Amino acid sequence: MENFKTVEIKDLSMNYGAKEVLKGINLEVHKGEIIGYIGTNGAGKSTTIKIILGIVEGWRGEVKVLGQDIKKDTIEYKRKIGYVPEVAEIYDNLTAREYLTFIGSLYGLKYEVADEKAERLMMVFGIKDAYQSRINSYSKGMKQKVLLIASMLHNPDILFLDEPLSGLDANSVMIVKEILSTLAKQGKTIFYSSHIMDVVERISNRIILINDGQIAADGSFKQLKERSKEGSLEQIFNQITGFSEYEALAKQFVSIVEE
Amino acid sequence: MDFKLLKILDKCKPLFQRMDIDYEVMRRILYIKLLLDGRRVPTVFGNNKKGKDADDKNMFLRSLWIYLLMGLILLPFVMMKNNYLFQMSIVFGIVMFLVMTSLISDFSSVLLDIRDRSIIGSRPVGRKTLSMAKSIHILYYMLALTAALVGPALVASLFFQGPVFFLLFIVSLILVNIFCIVLTTLVYFLVLRFFDGEKLKDIINYIQIILSLVVMVGYQLIGRMFRIVDLKIDFKPGWWQYLIPPIWFSAPFQMLKKSEINNYFIIFSAMTVIIPLVSLIIYIRLMPLFEKNLQKLGNNNGNRVKRKRKSEGLLVKLLCHNKEEKIFYSFSMKMMKNERSFKLKVYPTIGFSLIFPFLFLFQSLQGSGIKELTQGKTYLFIYFCGIMLPTLLMMTRYSESYKASWIYKALPIGNLKSVYQGTIKAFIIRIFLPVYAIEAAVFGVLYGTRIIPDLFAVLLNLLIFSILCFLLLDKKLPFSIAFNTTQQTNSGMGIALIFLLVVQVGLHFIATLFAYGVFIYLCISVIILIILWETAFAVSHS
Repeated sequence: MENFKTVEIKDLSMNYGAKEVLKGINLEVHKGEIIGYIGTNGAGKSTTIKIILGIVEGWRGEVKVLGQDIKKDTIEYKRKIGYVPEVAEIYDNLTAREYLTFIGSLYGLKYEVADEKAERLMMVFGIKDAYQSRINSYSKGMKQKVLLIASMLHNPDILFLDEPLSGLDANSVMIVKEILSTLAKQGKTIFYSSHIMDVVERISNRIILINDGQIAADGSFKQLKERSKEGSLEQIFNQITGFSEYEALAKQFVSIVEE
Repeated sequence: MDFKLLKILDKCKPLFQRMDIDYEVMRRILYIKLLLDGRRVPTVFGNNKKGKDADDKNMFLRSLWIYLLMGLILLPFVMMKNNYLFQMSIVFGIVMFLVMTSLISDFSSVLLDIRDRSIIGSRPVGRKTLSMAKSIHILYYMLALTAALVGPALVASLFFQGPVFFLLFIVSLILVNIFCIVLTTLVYFLVLRFFDGEKLKDIINYIQIILSLVVMVGYQLIGRMFRIVDLKIDFKPGWWQYLIPPIWFSAPFQMLKKSEINNYFIIFSAMTVIIPLVSLIIYIRLMPLFEKNLQKLGNNNGNRVKRKRKSEGLLVKLLCHNKEEKIFYSFSMKMMKNERSFKLKVYPTIGFSLIFPFLFLFQSLQGSGIKELTQGKTYLFIYFCGIMLPTLLMMTRYSESYKASWIYKALPIGNLKSVYQGTIKAFIIRIFLPVYAIEAAVFGVLYGTRIIPDLFAVLLNLLIFSILCFLLLDKKLPFSIAFNTTQQTNSGMGIALIFLLVVQVGLHFIATLFAYGVFIYLCISVIILIILWETAFAVSHS
């Protein structure tokens, strides 16, 4: 039985001015996969996600989400996607209630439905008391929780998460990890982008490494380990991206400091 | 809570749906944007903001009152009947200035909001729907602003000039608004094209400062304007007028009321209609290009070379004697130079203190002629440029990045004396001295070289005054408090300080009654200054 392709990318390329950021990405993602989407800074991770979400323009190639070509239909497919950005862009002069009901309404949820759902979700995260307070008075962890709720309120089939655990304490991290694995078991697709290799190692069932605008590795953690004969994802990452000077650099740093 | 605008738009729902726009979504987006407007502090409020979410009342609506008051200035010009080209040019000039500066000051954060792309753009909302919401939002703001500003003048025109004038006025105002939006966007576009986002933010900051200053000074002038209603002006058409938009807009009025129909006026009137409409079309075409350049605001590629001026290094060495003082002098200087919110709060106040003494001078001018004045002692008015010193000094305790003040506690700073000394010195050099230099120069020219000793005496006394202000006000570490915190202004203290200033003026005046009195006063001041400087800053901090 062929597993339904939730995201299909063919020959995706893009330039920012003169710089070639994406040099031909080819990717197929299926239901129930948790993809650990990793890469060095500037490798093209956030750009790929933004392209799929329709936030960025000027790319070449083909992108299909849930079978729909996003160049042809630019709106409907977004109803099934949820997104947590790395940089928390949020209208923080609003209260959580106002913001979440607003986001809900953009997905077509009725005010009362969104309101009630959002409040209950805030309760699960332990921040229900702040529901009517302005987001600019929140701590980083609280803002992150609001972003997480905003991304899942409408029950999306695909989730794009960019550093979703940033600012969360260890207990909340456990909750979120459990949420993600439950969602995946139910057949949702999750794109998880992060720099924290241990978490990626443990959460994902498939790892895609982007380096210099191209996919440098694609497979399960086990497969990657066999291929590069390194122990942890961190080491595999270093090896594939050709980075071996960390010891020398660290030595240099400390010696300058101690001058 | 619902907005009247939305209720009106509801009636046009079918129209929007025919344009292929998701009305419900558009309505929701507009609702949120209007809500956010109400919580943003308008520039015209200046320093009168009280607490973060003290009132949930609409800030924007309240700022409209200020525009209404400003609009009173237009009344005399609308009521005059001598030369419409002149008076309506002034009217449109003022309107364009205020509308554009307000647009740039308060609405930049809206026009240039790149958060929309990320927050709304990643959700199932069509481009058209979002653009329409944004356009309606901006139009609403401009209409509200213009209506508040020109309301009184419009009503006056109906009574004084007749219904045709009134209608012409309304149509012209709509065209002026269109023109302003396009002009403003064009300015943004050009700046973003050739520079980066930081430069644009700096420019916006300066415009905010100018607007605040104009509002502050404008109040003073409103009363005086009514005296010119009877002025007779002769206005001859010239080539340079083709370049001044307010003049184009006023031509139809001249033609209407004075029946002076000539080629110039016809061309001007044509320009009034054609130019805004053409620019509107260009604007709509260029929007996508503009949005692309907007992304630049998010990229901080600052290739900005900061040139360190040698003179600054010298100054630091001269003024500060110990290391810690030097450090905090440089630090405060840089903070005052770079922080936009600080500049926004401080520069208008500085501008105001520059002008304040001249206001007093004008009052005196009403009584006697200039010759008489320059022989007298009214140069003492220069003391009043110090009236804002307590306020300005208090400003140094605020900062956007106030949270960074933990470094004061974490770093090994022995005696806070150097912190305060360094900061005050920077404050004096950067803020007080330039103002005083300008004042002194002007007064010197007006009153002649005989007042030079007095000018020095004033300088010393104002420095003494600043230190006394520091002593008497609450001691807080520089740049350590958030801007919106309620200032516990001890009004008793404020009055006491002004009283002090008056006492200084009085003493100086007495000194001028004796021969060489001023020089003696000067010497005493020097001594007091030195004593104060050494002792005032030995502050123990818990």
